[in-house]
Amino acid sequence: MSTGTSPEAILRPIHTYSRRYVATVAIVLALIGFWLFLYAQQLQHGLIVTNLGDWGSSAGVPWGLYIGAFIWWVGIAHGGIILSAAVRLLGLDTYQPVARMAELLTIAALTCAGLFILIHVGRPDRLVTSVVPAWPTRVQWSPLMWDVTVITAYFVLTATYLLLTVRYDIHRLREQLPDAFEPVYKLLMVDYSETEDAVVERMVWWLAFAIIIMAPLLLHGGVIPWLFALLPSMAGWEGGVQGPSFLSIALTSAVSGIIVIAAVFRSAYGWEELIPEAVFRGLAKWLGFFSLMFLWLQLQQVITGVFAAPTTLQHATEVKLATPTYWVAIGLVVVALLYIFATVLRPSLFDIRVMAVLSIGVLLGTLIEKTLFVVEGLQHAHFQLYEGVPGPYIPSIVELSAIGATVAIVAMFFLSVSKVIPVVELHAVEDEEEVN
Amino acid sequence: MPDKSSTSTADGDRPDESTPLQFDDEWEARASERLSETEFDTELGIELAKDAQRVVAGELSERAFHEKHHDAVRDEFGEDARLLDAVLTEREESDEGEGVASRVSSLFEDESSRREFVKKGGAAGMGLSMLLGSPDAGSASTAPAEDADAEDTRLGMVINLNNCDGCLECVTACKGLHGTSRGAHWIYVMAYTDPDLEHENFFVRTCMHCANAPCEKVCPVGARHTREKDGLVLTDYDICIGCRYCMVSCPYGANYFQWGDPDSPRQNDHFTHDERDVWVDGPPPNGAMGKCTFEPAWQDGQAGEKLVGTTMCEMACQRDAIHFGDLNDPESDPNQHLEEYRANHPNDRSEFEDRNPDTVSTFRAMEERGTEPGVIFIGNEPSVHAEQVEGPVTYEDKGLIDDRKSEILDDGPAGDDDGGELA
Repeated sequence: MSTGTSPEAILRPIHTYSRRYVATVAIVLALIGFWLFLYAQQLQHGLIVTNLGDWGSSAGVPWGLYIGAFIWWVGIAHGGIILSAAVRLLGLDTYQPVARMAELLTIAALTCAGLFILIHVGRPDRLVTSVVPAWPTRVQWSPLMWDVTVITAYFVLTATYLLLTVRYDIHRLREQLPDAFEPVYKLLMVDYSETEDAVVERMVWWLAFAIIIMAPLLLHGGVIPWLFALLPSMAGWEGGVQGPSFLSIALTSAVSGIIVIAAVFRSAYGWEELIPEAVFRGLAKWLGFFSLMFLWLQLQQVITGVFAAPTTLQHATEVKLATPTYWVAIGLVVVALLYIFATVLRPSLFDIRVMAVLSIGVLLGTLIEKTLFVVEGLQHAHFQLYEGVPGPYIPSIVELSAIGATVAIVAMFFLSVSKVIPVVELHAVEDEEEVN
Repeated sequence: MPDKSSTSTADGDRPDESTPLQFDDEWEARASERLSETEFDTELGIELAKDAQRVVAGELSERAFHEKHHDAVRDEFGEDARLLDAVLTEREESDEGEGVASRVSSLFEDESSRREFVKKGGAAGMGLSMLLGSPDAGSASTAPAEDADAEDTRLGMVINLNNCDGCLECVTACKGLHGTSRGAHWIYVMAYTDPDLEHENFFVRTCMHCANAPCEKVCPVGARHTREKDGLVLTDYDICIGCRYCMVSCPYGANYFQWGDPDSPRQNDHFTHDERDVWVDGPPPNGAMGKCTFEPAWQDGQAGEKLVGTTMCEMACQRDAIHFGDLNDPESDPNQHLEEYRANHPNDRSEFEDRNPDTVSTFRAMEERGTEPGVIFIGNEPSVHAEQVEGPVTYEDKGLIDDRKSEILDDGPAGDDDGGELA
């Protein structure tokens, strides 16, 4: 192979500094700043600055875009690490060049999910003082507490995983890394010795094993859907299908996220050889498969909801089908699926840029679907007497700006981290060299 | 809807005194399951429970009971040994034949401190609580009271919808007392039409103070809780994080969040804090959840004996529709009203003697959701086809806001000067 897969190539983001980079940082910071300004209003006045309201006599929706976005980010976080864990566990070496990006995406996305919990609650000042003392007695009851627990455990697992694998690279590339970040490297490399590599490899295998069991079964196929599936009051939420359905959406959005990030890095740093097209073709097939699962599970819900369902479920499903934005969401996923199917039949049709754009569409579609799920689930309850229910809900600018800000936070995370550590593992290059 | 409004108090089955007590495997399994939820020794708990029942059955003397377990209990819980010594001493001093239960109870100043001990005692609590006749007291303090015993106080209501004329006096009075923000109706009266019913009907939605409250189950921090003393479901304003999970899980829509600063300033602590000194009433602080409370401070006698056993809405109702009291007490106002109302509406059984003795329809709202609501309605249950309509007296007529979302919340914090949600 050419120099495109040399260690120098993976250090390119650290050594280059372009005007485009500065412009991107500026845009990203502007988005975050805009949200911070609006969020300050929320802190000052309360959640009245959102378009949320009380369910019941005042026909509001108490959970809205914040919760939809929370689910979305957790979903993205999931798939990222599942893919990375699969690379290590099953030896899917093709995807090794994007494994670390997937891990970094997981960390960033989980942070955003946590942020949404923080901005969703009415009293963020009490998150520590109320949650910590209540944990031992409430964890056995409250799905929200299960959620916080599993996400925290998952964050720790992922961070450990990333830390262990990055030490190998830093040790070998230390000479070529900028001295300005010396304290960071020192901290990351505490007590490192080459003898740990073999041990770390085994540890990472077990961590990957834990993640691949925990992420699909416990997190996005477990505690997150259980927030809704266990509530009998809301017709659109209750039911066992939510676990698989949430998981399919998580995987769909996560693979889309990885495609987008990998495509951006590939384009920005000329990584055509480091991240070959085969990686994208492979990811696209996975995306196609998960999209199909997503659509199939939607079909299951729609059919059970309209055929001979109890009146409230039937009503909730009919409203869902009559909502144009639902069809936008489904349409975005269908378009991506059709394109992927077409490129399998005619490989010459495949284009990474088209795939990246369609992936952004899928990300948007999944966000819409999750938010609609939360909102419409609340609007069509079993208790139907309230005249105003279902009331309207259109997210306020404060809520919408938080979506922009969290996307910006993830971007900022990648923009920063890529200047400090290699976002592609050294292993990806080494293996390539061994093969050649 | 089946009539589940029977409030008869179930007497616990007394063991047959002629034969030694038997504890079958099922009993042990049940006891073991319950005790395993506590952090204390399951074996000890089971032994205590068995011997406690033997005391009741007269197979074991109280002295023998206490001496047998004194050390083990102290070792396990580190609980005040004086308590048991006191029982023993009192036993010697007392020549009355009263049961150990009443004397254990008497050691505590009041019911709540007894429960506090029982809670702390965990496993021993199970044994003691069996003696004291409250099998639910030994479970974790935050567990929903699924097995509310008939002998426990269960404050609730009988609301006679047939008497309601939709005057909204209760709504106005409640708002005045609690100082809730505009549009936050802890009691909410809905006029509705139903294809099955000829006339305009009313539904009065309070908090149902469910025995198996979903809002309590889902609360991540235990802010929403059932007061063990009387079954009131309350919110601890000091620890609520405002996640609104309670609102999302409540099938009745009884919760009202404080989206902005409250319209009214905080009221005096004597009303807002109950006897446990927990802030549970009045307008919630910005970012916390509020709902109908049934006036816990009144029930604790903090506003004088006259107000114990009543609520503002009950007092305000001119039509005798709202009846508040202990649902487990056959003599209480709600049960008496139900009995009288039934007696006044006898069924014609001259031809068909198997007919119901009365023509009174009662229901508990959405009982099939498993919430075990603490409000019993007399009247027709709204069907799924029922539609809310404007009542004879509108919210506007009374200067109230009906649609809080569009009339208040959508305006946002437009001007801070007034300090309220509209402001």
